[in-house]
Amino acid sequence: MLKRTLTITADLIVWIFLIGFAIIILSPLVFMFAASIMPSEDILKVPFPWITSDFHWQNYWKALKGNDGKFLYLRTIFNSFIVASLTSLGTIFLSSLAGYGLAKFKFKGRMFVLMMILSTMMIPFEAIMIPLYLIVTKMGMQDTYAGLIVPLLLNAFGIFMMRQYLITFPEELLDAARIDGASEFGIYWKIILPNSLPAITTLAILTFRAQWDNLIWPLLIVQTPKKKTIPLFIIQFASEKYTDEGALMAAAAIASVPMLILFIKLSRYFLAGAELFAARKD
Amino acid sequence: MKSLERKKAVWGFIFVLPAIVFFIIFNFYPMGYAFWISFHKKNLISLRPPKFVGFSNYIYLLQSSSFWNSVKATAIFALGTFVPIVIFSLIFAVLISTRKRFQKFLEMAYYSPAVLSSVVAATIWFLMFQPYGLANQFLNFLFNTNNIDYKWLSSEKMLVLATIIVYFWKYVGYYTIIFIAGIASIPKSVHEAAIIDGAGKWQDFLYITLPLLKPTTLLVSIMSMIQTLRTFSTQYFFVQSGAPIKPIEVITLNIYNTAIRDMRVGRASAMSIILLVIIMFFTYIQFKISRTEEISY
Repeated sequence: MLKRTLTITADLIVWIFLIGFAIIILSPLVFMFAASIMPSEDILKVPFPWITSDFHWQNYWKALKGNDGKFLYLRTIFNSFIVASLTSLGTIFLSSLAGYGLAKFKFKGRMFVLMMILSTMMIPFEAIMIPLYLIVTKMGMQDTYAGLIVPLLLNAFGIFMMRQYLITFPEELLDAARIDGASEFGIYWKIILPNSLPAITTLAILTFRAQWDNLIWPLLIVQTPKKKTIPLFIIQFASEKYTDEGALMAAAAIASVPMLILFIKLSRYFLAGAELFAARKD
Repeated sequence: MKSLERKKAVWGFIFVLPAIVFFIIFNFYPMGYAFWISFHKKNLISLRPPKFVGFSNYIYLLQSSSFWNSVKATAIFALGTFVPIVIFSLIFAVLISTRKRFQKFLEMAYYSPAVLSSVVAATIWFLMFQPYGLANQFLNFLFNTNNIDYKWLSSEKMLVLATIIVYFWKYVGYYTIIFIAGIASIPKSVHEAAIIDGAGKWQDFLYITLPLLKPTTLLVSIMSMIQTLRTFSTQYFFVQSGAPIKPIEVITLNIYNTAIRDMRVGRASAMSIILLVIIMFFTYIQFKISRTEEISY
């Protein structure tokens, strides 16, 4: 009897601990949404009124409009969508192509190529960004979408992930298609691509989020305000003198909603992404 | 048949070729260029060709207080962040794994900050760290004090702590998920065998789960440490919004400022090479560990 009471108490303590931390972890998110519809006086009030009595939906309008009334944020959101989507599409195509080549074809130097690609995992982006910036500028891609997209089109992790996924793909299916006269690229396009959807979705989400989040590269590449991506806009908006705190939180909320919706809808791919990253051995 | 094999080999190479070209142009070439230019003097916008200066960029850095300040800032940030992250994500993961209900919900709640962009995370916390913000209110509530201002963004030590908190908050859930996957990969039969042999829940955890989690723990430790060495966004945001730069000028921020603000590309590249060597060293260890520590059931 005593033992059972103890177990139940321990169980209860664990629940309180876990839920307590869940509340702490979620509260900044709730703060963001709560503050995004508050007048700025309320945001720094003690104690913080979690639910405002004075709804300021116009904060969202102010965020989109910007301090100079040029609706720069709208353009910025569009830029981020374009850059993140195109990078994801390119990554899917090139990573699966290379991953397939490395998984299913025997050619001279295959191991060397694989090791070469894997070794780039050791190169942190921050350590090569300055020379990369000079190279990209020399290629005439400064202040362009291409400059934001092309240098981040591929990474070793994506290729490695696709290779691991495809390495167990049944060889007989490929050979059957070859006997039927399908071209090698046709086999990739019609058999390999449609059959690697789970891996591709995970890769697309990881890439989209990385670009959506990217600060340091756009900071180097973008010159004109119209080419800015969301993180650059938010940093500028936050540092402007006349920015209203409510509008700042509205801008943050707008930036977060697409990712949060993706996360709720496709959470298993997000979580799988984290797990896969841990499993990168071999 | 021979020719078919040959044709296949050619196609395999064609499929991999774009990737090879990409990595040469956008990874190996910049790395080589960084190494080369780190022995030169080069102004960012001047058209004059780089001038060879030998080791003087490195010598300058080793004698510069700004560089050592960055090394210190980075080391403090990395240690102060990755150690708590490893400990807490392990505890969270172990406890979440014992839950029979709402496990998915807890996983999602803990992971959710990792979904936000780092600039958004920094923005939210920037407001919460204001003198009348939530951070002070929370601590005053916790310690039952009255309106003490902890000077999150103006006191040097608190500013460092503030950047650590933002990073910890954003990533602890991410590593929790990795640990949960590690725990789930331990076969049930191992636990069952221990229970049959008379082990209690606590003993099962101490003598089965924990030792078998060693590879995951090592992996998370090194991975999170490498990631913290690369931190940039929060520090950049706080500085842009008026916080003092000195305590939080981490190496990446210093590289950026040296190259873009001071336009000294050679010096910035020397710093990049030093960062590269440090991170490569830890990545190498990570590869070694994941090789030798692998457990097969």
